[in-house]
Amino acid sequence: MSVLAVTFDAFTNVEFWIGVGVLAGAYAIFALGLQLNVGYTGIVNFGQAGFMAIGAYAMGILVVDHGVSFWLALPLATLIAMAAGVLIGLPALRLRSDYFAIVTIAFAEMIRYTAQNARELTGGNQGLLGFDDDWVEFSIEVQDSLASVGLGDQFLLPLLLAVWTTLLVLTVLLRRVTNSPWGRVLRAIREDEDAARALGKNVFAYKLQSLAIAAGVGAISGYFLVLNLAFINPQQFEPLVTFLGYAVLVLGGLASYVGVIIGAVILWTLLEATRFIDLPLSAEKVASLRFIIVGLILILLMAFRPQGILGKKEEMVLGD
Amino acid sequence: MTDTSPTTADPTARAAGDRLLDVRDVVKRFGGINAVDGATLDVVRGSITALIGPNGAGKTTLFNVLTGFYRPESGAVVYDGKSIFRRQPHVIARRGMVRTFQITKALGAMPVIDNMMLAAPHQPGEHLATLLFRPLASRQREKEVRARALELLDVFGLTAKADDYAGTLSGGQRKLLELARALMVEPRFVLLDEPMAGINPTLGARLLDHMARLREEDGVTFLFIEHDMEVVMGHSDRVIVMAQGRVIADGAPDVVRNDPRVIDAYLGDPDRRGAAS
Repeated sequence: MSVLAVTFDAFTNVEFWIGVGVLAGAYAIFALGLQLNVGYTGIVNFGQAGFMAIGAYAMGILVVDHGVSFWLALPLATLIAMAAGVLIGLPALRLRSDYFAIVTIAFAEMIRYTAQNARELTGGNQGLLGFDDDWVEFSIEVQDSLASVGLGDQFLLPLLLAVWTTLLVLTVLLRRVTNSPWGRVLRAIREDEDAARALGKNVFAYKLQSLAIAAGVGAISGYFLVLNLAFINPQQFEPLVTFLGYAVLVLGGLASYVGVIIGAVILWTLLEATRFIDLPLSAEKVASLRFIIVGLILILLMAFRPQGILGKKEEMVLGD
Repeated sequence: MTDTSPTTADPTARAAGDRLLDVRDVVKRFGGINAVDGATLDVVRGSITALIGPNGAGKTTLFNVLTGFYRPESGAVVYDGKSIFRRQPHVIARRGMVRTFQITKALGAMPVIDNMMLAAPHQPGEHLATLLFRPLASRQREKEVRARALELLDVFGLTAKADDYAGTLSGGQRKLLELARALMVEPRFVLLDEPMAGINPTLGARLLDHMARLREEDGVTFLFIEHDMEVVMGHSDRVIVMAQGRVIADGAPDVVRNDPRVIDAYLGDPDRRGAAS
């Protein structure tokens, strides 16, 4: 008579937690960018998966087709994603915020469809392979030295460490730039663009900077997601990714970077743990059930803690 | 009513060099309606000038045109000898011409002190490059700015509210905050859109005192839209009257008060008034 039996074996399994950790870390980085846009600047960027795709494909293509070293391709691809942020921002940031949201989602879909169909360049649905040789080599070295100090023999452990180190460095950096006069201008734009303009602030330039930085951060999160799977495929950049990023944002609370990290860990623990629900149902139904459970938890959160885990209620109520 | 030449109070006092703001034939159209329909006026350096007129006269629209928030169809706007016609609002504000809004724009989810500090000019920390590579310059300026902000909050009786969210302030306190914030920009010319509306007489008097003092001490020029005639007549050196998008009278408060065209604009044509009844 098991109605909802969860086998708790998973929770004591190191591999399970490493897997969750990589995904949670990568999505936390993804959502850091969203937080800068949505939580601090008030620009509703629904195209984050598109910037992630541009970063990942740029890195992959540079390495595979042009023989650029993986380590050099990372900063180059990040710059390319940031340039894409500026390019899409130049026309789109002049629009009202709801139109901007629609344009960004269309942009992200254009990128994905292009990736799907430009087979010469991206490998289409077959995906792009072989960009991660340098990483694998490095990863095995790290794994060996970790094993030599008795830290297990986990294949994904070096990636986990890389994700979380990057996440922490980015969090510290972003906190520093947003808790500054620069960040104060962003918050003013979030509150009232016209007031910021009337006080001599070049609102458009700040929004453009915010979007470009978020695009770069989104690209970085993409590197970890594609390294995790060892290939790049258009399906990794569906709008769902952006929506999960927003779920992380809402869970963690607006205008808090640490909230984003907590939100990502909770979301991915839930999504991965619910895989182990043992019900007399088909695999597809269980997969759908996972999202129903996550949705239900989000609804409950909205009802009882609308500001999210670390968001400030006052800022939500007094915002308008 | 085709004669729109303003009644000039003192032509000698308005030589080109004395004019801080020079507005010529400005037209702003919304659809088929000319909200501002060829407005021509000037503001004398160091003056406190009132802009009055019945509802719908185009006063706020004119403010929006002057400060770059609306793009006018035609005309010319010269501020301090340089054209600011169709310039961006932030460019105009940086030249020292700063406005407030009729419906206050307090940044609700930010503390009062942050509202104030935001407005300060010349903060190197507002640029990412200097913020990252010269953090000390930013911190040094923050210190100066905070001191100045606290000083101004004290003048406007908002010291106790410094760390509260601006969204918790009353309507009147928001008006004061908006003026105090505009002053943080270190303006030479302040445009106030109905500064007295909704604030209690004590606070209102403090605001007017402060305007007079800023004019005396720092030579700041004021142009304000106001409906309270007592304030207009008692506290301005010059009154500009608008009706139907044009300037219909312009002069010293006493002169304007008795101008038949002004009375006409507010109350309607006396002949037609008689005929209608």
